[in-house]
Amino acid sequence: MIMHFKRQWSVYLWYLIIFIGLIITILPFWWGVAASFKSNSEIFRDLAPISYKAFLPGFSLDSYFAIFENDFGRSMLNTFFVSITSVAGGLLINSMAGFAFAQFRFKGDNIIFGFVLLSFAVPADAIAIPLFKMMRQIGWFDTFYALIIPMLANGLIIFLYRQFFLGIPKELIEAARVDGLSWFGVFWRICLPLSVPVTLGAGLLLFVFQWESYLWPLIAAPSPELHLIQVTLGRFSTEYEMIWNQQFAASSIAGFLPLVFIYMFQKQFVSALTGVEQK
Amino acid sequence: MNFFKRQWMVPYLFLAPALIGTIAFKLYPIFIGFWESLIYTSFSGGAEKRIFVWFENYQYLFDDKIFWKSLEITAFLTIIINPLQIAMSLGLALLLMRKSKFIRIIRSLYLLPIGIALPIATIIWGLMLDPNQGLINGLIGVFGIPPQPFLVNENQALWCIIAIATWKGVAFWMLFLLAGLEDIPKQYYEAAEIDGATPFQKFRYVTIPQLKRTILFVFVADTAANFVLMVPMIILTKGGPLQSTNVLIYEGYRSGFYYQDWGRSLSIITILTVITLIVIGLQLLFLSEKNEGIKVK
Repeated sequence: MIMHFKRQWSVYLWYLIIFIGLIITILPFWWGVAASFKSNSEIFRDLAPISYKAFLPGFSLDSYFAIFENDFGRSMLNTFFVSITSVAGGLLINSMAGFAFAQFRFKGDNIIFGFVLLSFAVPADAIAIPLFKMMRQIGWFDTFYALIIPMLANGLIIFLYRQFFLGIPKELIEAARVDGLSWFGVFWRICLPLSVPVTLGAGLLLFVFQWESYLWPLIAAPSPELHLIQVTLGRFSTEYEMIWNQQFAASSIAGFLPLVFIYMFQKQFVSALTGVEQK
Repeated sequence: MNFFKRQWMVPYLFLAPALIGTIAFKLYPIFIGFWESLIYTSFSGGAEKRIFVWFENYQYLFDDKIFWKSLEITAFLTIIINPLQIAMSLGLALLLMRKSKFIRIIRSLYLLPIGIALPIATIIWGLMLDPNQGLINGLIGVFGIPPQPFLVNENQALWCIIAIATWKGVAFWMLFLLAGLEDIPKQYYEAAEIDGATPFQKFRYVTIPQLKRTILFVFVADTAANFVLMVPMIILTKGGPLQSTNVLIYEGYRSGFYYQDWGRSLSIITILTVITLIVIGLQLLFLSEKNEGIKVK
């Protein structure tokens, strides 16, 4: 009887902690999205003094119309363009490198692989300033090249592909070679079509990296015509400091797409990120 | 394909694009950063003049109070934020290992912050923490707590940034720990239970040793990530108020982009890179050695 009571008690405690944690996690989303459908005066009225209405969504789409008059659409298109090219280019070159590491023994393979592993220990933000100076020297500063090309090679993704390609039976590849397929043919026609799960996870990672990048696009491409979505968002928050509803609307749109993708492919995303196969 | 006739070249051809990208844009910039930190750029007479000055930029830094203050803030932030995030991520991961009817949805909801970019999280939290009309002041007002200045007060601003980064970071690091926890064979726990182990003993003698590698990875990666944390500073505080959030990476950014003092900027970045490598090296050394000790016992 006492045991039973004790167990019950721990379950209630668990639910209580989980519930408090969930409120802290969700509150910013809830409030931000709810307020994005209100006028500014409504937002402020619900806050001082605070009323339960602060958590109820409004019905106005004005803030959404306003941000699209404000170059937000442009930066969204830019971000789509940059993300999609980065995903396509990044998947191609990193899967090729992963294939090389998995299929061949060659001079310097361990050292080169060591460099690749080292490269994903280097935080992108720490090299942003020297990279910026480099872009100015080679004339890519303030162009789409600067936004895309330095972001393509990615040690983590090379690693993911290498692990996957190591699991492909050698007999399959040898048979294809005997049939006269070139190495590129083996890669393109046999290995790549088998790698759909990795490709999904890796593509999602590359997409999210680009969609969420802020510092690099901020310094590498300052022209408004090249602004990416997070940069525009950051600009909104300083230039329209008191226009809260537009900041909320822009944040909601910018946050929506990665969230949808991540939830659609949660398993692949988590596998790619953690390197652990999800059940 | 004639192009692939020379067999020995094949692996290098496959490797070339990614390898060139990695070397040119990930490794070479570290070198440039160091090289440029030895150069002083003067703008006298309208013309840009570059002079090689050895370590003079560093000398100026070491005589500069702002630099030392910034180093102090970075050290403080590092000591607080990393253990805090690891402890919270581990606690949350353990909580989410419990079986429950709703566990799938609960887990999914806890993962929400991962999908939200740091600038977005920063902006929303910035508005929540607004001293005049913010949601947080409204909520604590219900409990009779007077409104707080939060980001505009030099004693609270850094803590607010810690809170924002932790809100965003915990879910992310928790993902790795959760994956690690699920990898631990269930038999280990069953065996421990048969031996009459208490929940704490199971945690201490099964979970921790089994999770050791994951924890070490998360600790190192989290530390490296927090050394370059500066989005909240760029968007919200500009290193203020009274330099209270002026961490090294932000001071480096500001020296370059606000004051065009690239020698100073890159000296700071180089120092930060060296500090990061030393701290990570120490973590790897200290933590893996200590764990070996436990194994022997």
